[in-house]
Amino acid sequence: MSSGDIKGFYRQKKKNSGVTKPSSSSSSSKKSKSKHYTGGASVGAPSAAQTPALVTRGGAIDLKEEYGDEEEALRQFDMDMKYGPCIGFGRLERWERAAAMGLHPPPHVREVLVGLASGSTARSSKFKCLWEGLV
Amino acid sequence: MADSEMGEATLERKLAVYRNLDERFVIREEKYKGQQFSHIYFMRLHHMRSQLQSLIPKWKPHLPVNTVLGLEEGKECIIVGTLYKHMKLKPSILDEYSKERSAIPLVKPHNFMSTDDHLILEDESGRVKLAGPMLAPSAFVTGIVIAVHGKETSEGDFFVEDFLEAGLAPQVDRPLDSREDKFVAFVSGLSVGTNAFNPLQFQLLVDHVTGHLGDENEQRISSKIVQLVIAGNSMHISHGFFSGQTVAPKDHAKLTEPIRELDIFLTQLVAALPVDIMPGCNDPANYSLPQQPLHRCLFAGASAYNTFVSCTNPHHFELDNVQFVGTSGQNIDDLYKYSDAKDKIEFMERTLRWRHLAPTAPNTLGCYPYVDKDPFLIESCPHVYFVGNQEKYETRLLQGPDKQLVRLISIPRFCETGVAVMLNLRNLECHALSFSTNL
Repeated sequence: MSSGDIKGFYRQKKKNSGVTKPSSSSSSSKKSKSKHYTGGASVGAPSAAQTPALVTRGGAIDLKEEYGDEEEALRQFDMDMKYGPCIGFGRLERWERAAAMGLHPPPHVREVLVGLASGSTARSSKFKCLWEGLV
Repeated sequence: MADSEMGEATLERKLAVYRNLDERFVIREEKYKGQQFSHIYFMRLHHMRSQLQSLIPKWKPHLPVNTVLGLEEGKECIIVGTLYKHMKLKPSILDEYSKERSAIPLVKPHNFMSTDDHLILEDESGRVKLAGPMLAPSAFVTGIVIAVHGKETSEGDFFVEDFLEAGLAPQVDRPLDSREDKFVAFVSGLSVGTNAFNPLQFQLLVDHVTGHLGDENEQRISSKIVQLVIAGNSMHISHGFFSGQTVAPKDHAKLTEPIRELDIFLTQLVAALPVDIMPGCNDPANYSLPQQPLHRCLFAGASAYNTFVSCTNPHHFELDNVQFVGTSGQNIDDLYKYSDAKDKIEFMERTLRWRHLAPTAPNTLGCYPYVDKDPFLIESCPHVYFVGNQEKYETRLLQGPDKQLVRLISIPRFCETGVAVMLNLRNLECHALSFSTNL
């Protein structure tokens, strides 16, 4: 395995998109560490290469920093066990079901989802639950 | 209601007001979007838990109700959840991949119980193993929701001191003002198309029910039959045809003959009285519960009559305000495989006490992955509960703690026994009709 070929071997999906890392100190130290790391499976792999598992939802890179408070609220709604399992079920339908059962799901979640319905289709990924396509 | 003119007596058949309540079993707008069965279990737990929570204060008012995750060691409390019965002998698809295939002995085909079975209670937060002599695993199956009172032991099990099942659901009062006898006839397991089917025997039944047999007295009895219910397995399509391969032209007859023969009989019946026909496990209907009604195109002759009603399995209907609920047998047969009782009627009683028609669905009984409901939950206790395709005719009148009264009927397979069942709507009394061609 010649290290010279590795960069071409691993297809780089994203080199540097407009993502800013707020916790720059810890991540930059991780970056510098990986550059010096000379053993293991990731030898030679550039630190910015993305593994396919993180690429979901129609090509959008699923990094923690990319979503905002809206997505955070939607994910919290997904994870809340009180409203039942979320897999294989659209978020809006799950909200409607929870409301029909009398569980009083948070109304702002519905507002976000309904507001997205009128938005562009690029946001359609927000209607699917957190684990869509991953499980 | 007979004309008593000499030599010209016309008997008129009695009528009863029929209402079909199968709506919740019909699959209409449901679309499969990749959902799993966790949703149906969630709906079941949520619904049954709210019912149990209204009963717990009358049962043990002084104890707190916890979630499984909130259990503290040694603290006495009540938890509500779904039961899971771990069975060593239950066939698992993973057994094919197990290297120790020989470790699992050849099991009796009709029962998978073993002495090692144990029960686990599960809710949204977690699961806990149930210990103690109060809950005998042989009487329970996976999928029922109960409340248990006890405390967590040091080993992490929950030692059960007492348990609460939901019990019989509240029942709408049966109308008591009817003074005339009206009968409902039940038959199941006709199995047209097999060698066991005796056309003469079934023709005897048809002739009796339609009033073509016997003298005036017997015809008078037949005129009081207001409804016939055929509870599944009316025909038997050889399972070899289900392999997915194209059927050779010479075999076409084997596929269509049973259906045509049944249609001829059914046409005679529907011309005389209302008939409800339910699908069973051998009928050309879908496999998983709830089975959808047999298609009208199968019954070219009978479907022309408005007395012909093709129903779902399970089937729920109302006749003169008397509530009937029944299945073609798959729910009770599945309970028989995974638990023990002294007779089939006891299994039926248990399903009523658990308020669920088919608790083992979807675990071991095929069922549609509903997302927003569990249609097998029994919200109101029926007056008549029937199950088809059983070994023998059995019946019992079950009395509930809240003045509920249910007639339980186990309908035997007609092709084997020649027995149909007659129920009197006036007093819920039941008797058997036996037809034999052996002289």
